[in-house]
Order: sequence, then C-alpha cells, then structure tokens
Amino acid sequence: MRKVPRRRIAGATAGVAAGVIAGVGVLALAGVSIARGLETADRDPAALIDATHLPPLLTLPGEAVTLRYDVYCAAPGADPESGVPCDAGGTAYVRAGDFGLFRAVPLRLDAAASQGRYSAEVPSDILGALEGFSYYAVLRSNTSGATTRLPAGGQYAPLRSRPLGRAITVNLGSHAFGAPRRATARVASASWGGAPGQVGLEQGPELQPIGGSSFDVGATGVVNLLDEANRRVLRFAPGAAPPSSVAVGVRGTIADLAVGADGGMAVLETVGDDGATPLIRSFDPNGRSLGAWHIAERSASALELGPSGPTALEYPSSQWMPVLERGTAVAASTQRERGRAGRALGNGDELVVEREGSEARIAQVGPRGVRRSWRIQSSTPLGEVQLAKPLGDKLVVVLRVYSDGRDEFEVLVLDDRGAAKRFSVDSTAWAETAPLARFRLRGSALYALGSTPAGVFVDRYDLEVS
Amino acid sequence: MIRRRLPRAARAFAVTASIVCALTAATGAWAYHTHFVVNNCNTNPPQYTSYFTRDGSSTVALYAQREGYQWAGGCWNDNDVDDSPGDPTSDPGTGGEGPDCSGFTFKVWRESLAESDAGAYQWNKLRNVHGPYTSARFKSGDGAPNVTYGKGGLIRMDALASSSHIGLIYAPNADGTDQIIEAKGEAYGTNIWTRTYRGDSGYGGVRRLGWNA
Repeated sequence: MRKVPRRRIAGATAGVAAGVIAGVGVLALAGVSIARGLETADRDPAALIDATHLPPLLTLPGEAVTLRYDVYCAAPGADPESGVPCDAGGTAYVRAGDFGLFRAVPLRLDAAASQGRYSAEVPSDILGALEGFSYYAVLRSNTSGATTRLPAGGQYAPLRSRPLGRAITVNLGSHAFGAPRRATARVASASWGGAPGQVGLEQGPELQPIGGSSFDVGATGVVNLLDEANRRVLRFAPGAAPPSSVAVGVRGTIADLAVGADGGMAVLETVGDDGATPLIRSFDPNGRSLGAWHIAERSASALELGPSGPTALEYPSSQWMPVLERGTAVAASTQRERGRAGRALGNGDELVVEREGSEARIAQVGPRGVRRSWRIQSSTPLGEVQLAKPLGDKLVVVLRVYSDGRDEFEVLVLDDRGAAKRFSVDSTAWAETAPLARFRLRGSALYALGSTPAGVFVDRYDLEVS
Repeated sequence: MIRRRLPRAARAFAVTASIVCALTAATGAWAYHTHFVVNNCNTNPPQYTSYFTRDGSSTVALYAQREGYQWAGGCWNDNDVDDSPGDPTSDPGTGGEGPDCSGFTFKVWRESLAESDAGAYQWNKLRNVHGPYTSARFKSGDGAPNVTYGKGGLIRMDALASSSHIGLIYAPNADGTDQIIEAKGEAYGTNIWTRTYRGDSGYGGVRRLGWNA
C-alpha cells in the first residue's frame, strides 16, 4: 500500500477546514444581508388608529339604542406602546331612514364601560322614525389627528338599523344536548392525507388541526370540498366514487368556497399576503384561474356568489361588499361605498341577522322595510348564526348553541307561525374550517361539513319541507 | 514540492466551501435563518405598571398585526411585514419574527415571568420573551393573573383557549362570530380574523385579572 506523505494530508486537511469555515461564513453573511434586506422601516406608531362597533341592526319598539364604539390609537406621550388608553373622540352621523342630511352627534367617553366606551344616544325623534335610521361614525386620535370611518363607506354606505316590526317569537328553551338528528345520508367523506381522494391538514406545531376548510354543493348535488392544504377541490358526485380532483391555485390557508351554477368556483382567501388585504380568486370548472381580486377591508369571514359575482362579508365595516361584478373588478373605494349589512337575496331583498346574547333577530327586508322577522330566544347561550336562507316561503336558520363544555347546532325551519321544523345537528369538527362554512342549503336539503381525527365528511339532511 | 502542495490545499478549500454552501442551501437552513431575533431583539427588563386597560392592551396587540409568527417566539417590529417568512414549522429555533399564540397573549396581557405575580408589566415589542404559559396552561387558568371564565360573558381582550391554541377577543360581530386577534401560525402570521371559537366546545374562556378599565 502506498504511503501518503504527512505534509500532503496536512495541506488537504487545512484546505478542508478552511473551506468549511469559509462556506459557513459566506452563508452567515448572506443570511444577515437577506434578513436586513427584508426588513423595512417601522410604521409611524402615531398613525395607528382602529375602531370597532357592534351595530344595532334590528331594534324593538321603544328599545333604547346607544351607538357604542371602541377606538384604538397610539398612547399619548413618548411611548406609543405604554398601554395607556389613547386620547380619542369622534362623531356619529345619524339620520332617519335612508335619505336626507345626517345629524352630527358627538361621541362621549363612558369611562365606566368595559367595552363600547365611546357612545352616542340616537336622538329620540330619529329613533322613533317608522323606517328606522342610518348612520356612520368618524373616530379620531386626538394625539395624532389620525381618523377612521365606520363603516368605511361613510355616508355612501351607512349602517342601517331597522325596526323589527311584528316579529314572530320562537322560544327554544333550554337546549337538550346529546340528541342530534341522524343524517339522511353521508354524501362525501375523505381521510386525512395527500393521496388521491384524501384531504390534507395544514401543519404547525402549535396549530389546531385545520383542513377541508369549506365546501359547496352544485345544482346537481355534486359536493365540492375545498382541500386547501393540497391545493385542490374534490368533487363527490351523487352515487359515484371515488371523488374527482381539480387542482386550484390557492394559498393553502383557511378559505371559503362558493360554486356557481356552471361549476365555476370562487375562493375567498381569508389570509392576505404581507401588507395586503385578502383575495377572492375565481376559477373555471376545470380549475383554470380567471383572476384574483383584493377585498377592500382588512378581513372577511364569508363569501357569497350572487348573480352579478362574488360578495364578501368584510370587517371592520361588518358589511357585504361586491368584489367582482359581471367579470369586472370593483375598486376598493366602490366596494366600500356599496357595503350592505344584510346578505342580498335573489329577489333583491336583504336578509339581516343580529345575535345578541341569547337572542337572535332575523329579518327579511324589502324596499319598503322589514317584510317579515323572527326573534329566536334561547335559555342556552347562542353562538354564531351559521346559515339563514329562504326556502320557498320559509326560512332555514342554523345557529350554534353552546355551554362551556358542549356545543351543537340547532336547525330551524321558520314560517309565519314560528318553527315549522326543528332539530339539532352534532357539531363534530375536529379540524378548523372557515368560520361560516359549516352548512349549505341546496333545494330542500341541508348539507353539513364535519370532521374527526380520521377524516372529513359532508352529511345531508333532507328537510322534507312542502 | 511547495508548488504542488499549495494547489492541493486550495483545491480542497474550494471544493469543501462549495460543498458546504450547496449542502446547507439544499437543506433550506440558510433560507429561513433570517437572524431576526439576533439582529433586532433585546432582553431588557420589563417595566412594572400600576395601570393597565383593555384599550391599552388592544393597542399593544395591534402593533403586532401582520408581523409574522414564530413558534415559541415573542419579538416583533412594526413594519407590517413578516421579516422571516417561510420558517419551517418543524424547527422551533429559527429565531424569526413574531410571537406564537401563547407568547402573544402573555405580552399583550402584560404578565410577569413569575407565575405567582399578578402584576402588570410592559414588554416592548422588541423584547424577545414568550412567558411561562402554553395555550393549554392558559386554558386551565394557570398563573396568578389568569382565571377560567364562562364563555358567554367574555368581552374584548378576554381569551378563548384550546389545548393547542389561544386567541384574544378583539370585537364581537353581529352574526355571533368574534373578531379574534391571534398569532395563528407560520402561514398566517399575527392578525385579526373572524372565528367561531366561542361556541366551539374545544375552547374555554380565560380572563386576565386586574384590568383598571
């Protein structure tokens, strides 16, 4: 065996060692420069302003109405992060009905309130108007002069508070947990994973399981399940297995899905990229991208595909806003100016929903005001109104009822006398979904999205409503 | 001999440096080690404060909006950009920008590292601190400042916690959902989203004690 000279080994070793050091050094420097290149200047902390407001959309005769806001801005003094409440103020602009001049009502600080600390009483002559009132508010930081408007459309899209009229009261009493109705059929199911026919879970060490975040049902009963983690939609045709798969270019985070009559799809990405508002993406039935459009506001919770195009329920304005109309993007300013608190119905009416404590108020509103309305009262706390949609001359409503340890959904078919039908549905949801994507109504069937540690499913409940 | 030995060392140097660069880059490690914490954050002591409010904590929370997410993290700036995007979720030690959900709650609630201390402390956004609580411990009401609380009575800056996540109520919505401000995950960052945690039986209510208003 040939002996390698010691000096040669030493030279090579020194070269290797120097190479390792140099390689690591180059990458460290590159990393630092990348990091510094990514970092941009901080915002002006004094420019921060945000406001929240819970609108009194549906009121009872004689009910006192106080408009309440919370305002957040930089703390006065040298340290904007000191946690001292900002010095804020503002004005509510209120008028009777939908027309005429707004009357300015200054907001006053209610120092004793834990929330809704800036408030204004609606003047009694306006509150007493038969058609209700409309309003918006301008909130400001007295320290920096920064202002914000709620809703963002201001005088062009004020919030609308309507008298509930002769509402039909439905008293649910105390909810009996543990007796949900059995589904008529399981119409879609998939185990978790990335293989064909499976639905993916988003990953993260301190992340709730998230996956199969939305679904919709086509006119022929085809269930379209959004598999955002695998960036595809699974289609379950009635009686056919396995599902077909359509790739869609989505972000891979929680999103809402709506499917049109032609099979075209709209996806609301609830997460925006850096510094940008969330997007609505449009796809043809084969998954080909038709475009993507930003919503006007910082966040959105639900998507609706109307005859003119997609609308999104946007916050902080708490209004449905059109994002695309007949294939044309709606400018952000126009979206804001056309915001409506109610969900638009096919006949031009609006469905307005308000849940406050253990009561949910629902009204179908036409051009002349409230056509019909319901007050749903419960001894068990009510969570969100997941769905409220007309079914013929009836209204299907799905609400969550909860205690500190349990929850279920209450399904109501409402008519002019009260609840024509009522049953509960298991809330089984191991994986998180888009907030208002658990139920869809197609024809007289209610579809429910659920999940377990094994996978995701869609159940159908036939409502058997004449 | 000298003329032949030097090129060998140089060749070894060049080849090794290239291999190190290639291997490291191939693993992706260099791509996400943005050194945000090393370059920007501090370990300054917090400042005790005798007066803290839900208004003020909401404002503190808003400065973290759009600033990314870092598992076990607790340091961010205020440029509306995640300065360390794409950290692999399997690596908790990437030193990236942003809090995780429980670190965010700890800082916004202005809590002490000492679990027996219910006092309020101001942690600046660039102070890298997570605090002693996981979301599961918050859910249990662990620590002197924290108590479990009925979900129906929760208001802004109260929290909804599960065994693996916690978010702060920013505002209730008319449809019964809540706007939650939370550090949601690497692909989400820290922001305000509409959630249905309140009605979800996997979540419990948690309140920080001692608000002045």
